[in-house]
Amino acid sequence: MPAIVVALAVLALFALGYRYYSPYLARKVFALDPAYATPAHTMRDGIDFIPTNKHVLFGHHFTSVAGAAPIVGPAIAVFWGWGPALAWIVLGTIFAAGVHDFGSIVVSVRHRAKSIGTLASDVINKRARTLFLLIIFFLLTLVNAVFAVVIGNLFVANPGAVLPIVLEIPLAIAIGQYIYRTRSPALIPSILGVIVLYATIPLGQLFPISLDGFAQFLGVEQTRNIWVVLLFAYTFVAARLPVWLLLQPRDYINSHQLFIALAVILLGIGIGLNTIVAPVVNDVPAGSPSWFPLLFITIACGAISGFHSLVASGTTSKQIDKDTDARYVGYMGAVGEGSLALGSVLACTAGVAATQVEWEALYADFATASGSSTQNFVAGIAAFAGNLGVPIALGTIFAAVVVISFAATTMDTGVRLQRYIVQEIAEVAGARALARNATAATTIAVLVPLAMALLPGGGEAGYTFGVLWQLFGTTNQLTAGLALAVIAVWVTRNRRNATAVLIPLVFLLVMTTWALIINLVKFVEQGQWVLAPLDAIIFLLALWLIVEAAIALRDARRNPVPDPPGPTVEGDVGARRSSDG
Amino acid sequence: MRGAAVTADRLRAAWRSLERAHEAVFVAPLRRAGAREARRQADVLRTLVLLESLGVDNPVGYEVLDLVPYLVADLHAWHVRTGRERYGDVGVCC
Repeated sequence: MPAIVVALAVLALFALGYRYYSPYLARKVFALDPAYATPAHTMRDGIDFIPTNKHVLFGHHFTSVAGAAPIVGPAIAVFWGWGPALAWIVLGTIFAAGVHDFGSIVVSVRHRAKSIGTLASDVINKRARTLFLLIIFFLLTLVNAVFAVVIGNLFVANPGAVLPIVLEIPLAIAIGQYIYRTRSPALIPSILGVIVLYATIPLGQLFPISLDGFAQFLGVEQTRNIWVVLLFAYTFVAARLPVWLLLQPRDYINSHQLFIALAVILLGIGIGLNTIVAPVVNDVPAGSPSWFPLLFITIACGAISGFHSLVASGTTSKQIDKDTDARYVGYMGAVGEGSLALGSVLACTAGVAATQVEWEALYADFATASGSSTQNFVAGIAAFAGNLGVPIALGTIFAAVVVISFAATTMDTGVRLQRYIVQEIAEVAGARALARNATAATTIAVLVPLAMALLPGGGEAGYTFGVLWQLFGTTNQLTAGLALAVIAVWVTRNRRNATAVLIPLVFLLVMTTWALIINLVKFVEQGQWVLAPLDAIIFLLALWLIVEAAIALRDARRNPVPDPPGPTVEGDVGARRSSDG
Repeated sequence: MRGAAVTADRLRAAWRSLERAHEAVFVAPLRRAGAREARRQADVLRTLVLLESLGVDNPVGYEVLDLVPYLVADLHAWHVRTGRERYGDVGVCC
């Protein structure tokens, strides 16, 4: 089937979801009120709290939530065929992610733009705050581990991408300094910056950097592990730098790369008319993991991702100009992420191979499929770029640079956030010495995922990368579950029908718990004594979340406490209640 | 000739629109990061001034003594930003 037909069909379904389902959510479930004075107005400070045009805010929100995760998950999941992967992306985006992202913004806006962790404590109970911290700890540990492996694999497979990635660091700092020090428009310097970045790609091709010899010298079997150690050494330093110096400017360059990559995918399949060569449902080898329920934790970002609730409640809710803007920003943010996942599915089913036989060789078994998933995406994007006249070798490095840039920024943010989480958990546990020692907290934030990443993977005797990825998916889905529980309790308390929130919540918790049990049994049978306890801990967190959500929902139903009337845009506090209509 | 001038004007207007859109979507978050850092440093200074006003020893107590009168107005903006509608005793701040 032509990839462009599938792309247009999926985009049309997303459009229908926005056109018909999101207004239902806005009116009946979240009861948006155009007169509600949002925190951007009532707490305006010109920096965090600032009313922002909804199209501009969508740009901020989308570039913050989009990363490497909606690329990697679908690139693994097409192992089961493109049908199940795409079906989950479409249904998940329309009925789960749309509700989750949209609802996270609304609940935060109605609670003075508080973050989801604080909201869990306020709306559910104080134990939920501890639960949130623990889920986020494991989420970040696994995020940092899997992205270190992703980058390490890509560096080994694409030595030409190393130089552009290294040169991106001073380039980002220079652009950042230019923007901070001048008030003049940054469009031309930004275009020049992106041109300079992509000009380093042929340079990278001329001077590929490989650590194979160094690894042999050290007696390290896998070169990837050298890269993993170097990456964590980099993040240890980067996580201690101010965000405005390196992290934010890197994000700035990435936000441009995101739109360039999306344009390459859409134009590439539009011009090249690539055909999907993968089967709709793949006849996987005996002994392979079953798609049901593992598909739902393999694709997290792109179908539904708890990480979005952190962005929605952390920054986006502070900039919502009108209550009703939350529909456009939140729902369309989910659609944007789903579109990125769609691009990944197409790259790995239509771009990466010209025939089904070629494709089946790449996705011969689960270990092969997951180990080379990101490289398959890179090869697919290179093929799409080839349709636009870009030589395949350069297109490959371009795609690798895009994915590594996203993954590296995620790692940088992840280690930094993990440092805060370690300090906060230490504070809750009464370990004040650790809570006040940023260096010790950063060391823990680096060493734990480093240990996870260095354990054997990628298809050798140990576990496969896909299994580590699925564990990351479970923590991401539990974060989404916690956010959905907060939204459901808030909707129920306000005497509105929470079915649209409860269905994805129950589905997500059942699938995640089921997948955790399946993996736990497998790990115990295989004697995986690192993964088994980790899986068991995440399983216990899932049970804890189910219990807390059930108790909070029961209490909300028995004793609904609607929100007091909120401030209006005219400053007429208490003039009217939020309308249910 | 006139047609060329009109086209040039339209191109300039389109370029300015593009610059404004780029500034709002891409550059504004980066500028805010700088402003946030400046505010963080101001918060550190505010803490030092507050310590001085409370009589707590701090390494730059003498240097920040003159800034104490500015503290109250600044304190108001700070507690509103942190989500507290009221701060301190009546008459002290708001």
